[in-house]
Amino acid sequence: MGEGDQDAADVARIVAGDRNAFEGIVRRWQRRLVNLAYRFCRDRALAEDMAQEAFLKAFRSLATFRAESAFSTWLMAIALNTYRSRLRAEGQPLLSLDPARTFSAEVSALRGLIERQDAEAVRKAVLTLPGRYREAILLFYFEDKSVGDAASVLGIAEGTLKARLHRGRELLRQKMQ
Amino acid sequence: MTPEDIDQILSSDDLLEPASGFVMSVMEAVHQQASEPPPRAFPWFRFAIGLIGCLVAAASGTILLLTVGPALGALSAPLAFLTRLEPEFGCVIAALLLTFAFASLRKLRLTV
Repeated sequence: MGEGDQDAADVARIVAGDRNAFEGIVRRWQRRLVNLAYRFCRDRALAEDMAQEAFLKAFRSLATFRAESAFSTWLMAIALNTYRSRLRAEGQPLLSLDPARTFSAEVSALRGLIERQDAEAVRKAVLTLPGRYREAILLFYFEDKSVGDAASVLGIAEGTLKARLHRGRELLRQKMQ
Repeated sequence: MTPEDIDQILSSDDLLEPASGFVMSVMEAVHQQASEPPPRAFPWFRFAIGLIGCLVAAASGTILLLTVGPALGALSAPLAFLTRLEPEFGCVIAALLLTFAFASLRKLRLTV
């Protein structure tokens, strides 16, 4: 049985009243939801908290799920909306874009470490972009660079996503100069 | 930093492993939520009755005004003292009425 079939079977059981079947969905999707949340906040505890909230919202909305779209797209869209609202309500966690300041103790360490610092600075810089570019970039790379999947989750046309990606990368490049 | 570097960095983010108790924590929250009573539905029936009542009252008032138009002056004579009041009094009354209206709306939203 494929993952999609398992999801469909679990959804049917939950709608029929067996809420324990939701555990299967949580087990299959926990990594994706937690990791997507982490990319939005770079904070592990907050990421797990946001992912839990997304699962709860999904559970509440399962009765309204229609198989018109893939379960994965539906669940990721719920997660995205949850993370968006949560970060809007609580504010984006404070981030420093200056790797030297963030990692001052390790600057003199090996080149590999400096590269990791640069990489982390880029990932944090993404979080300072305006929402539409931030979400486009995070979803696109999270979905293994699939324009179609990322556009479906965001509910926008592929052309719009490409334009946002282009503009977002340009802003990011300017920030990292 | 080149666009290729940025692309490469964003493509290679580490994967987090959720905490071992994550599934249990979510399921506890799910069971807790499922055991809570469902939220109260909006009282559409009462709302409709109230709305119809308001419309009937407004229509009756209009008909009454049109019917007894000429005698209106005599009817409103007892209220003539209001014209002697300061205009600020009217503003205060209007502000109080608005406050009550907003407070009622908020209560209504909380009960939905």
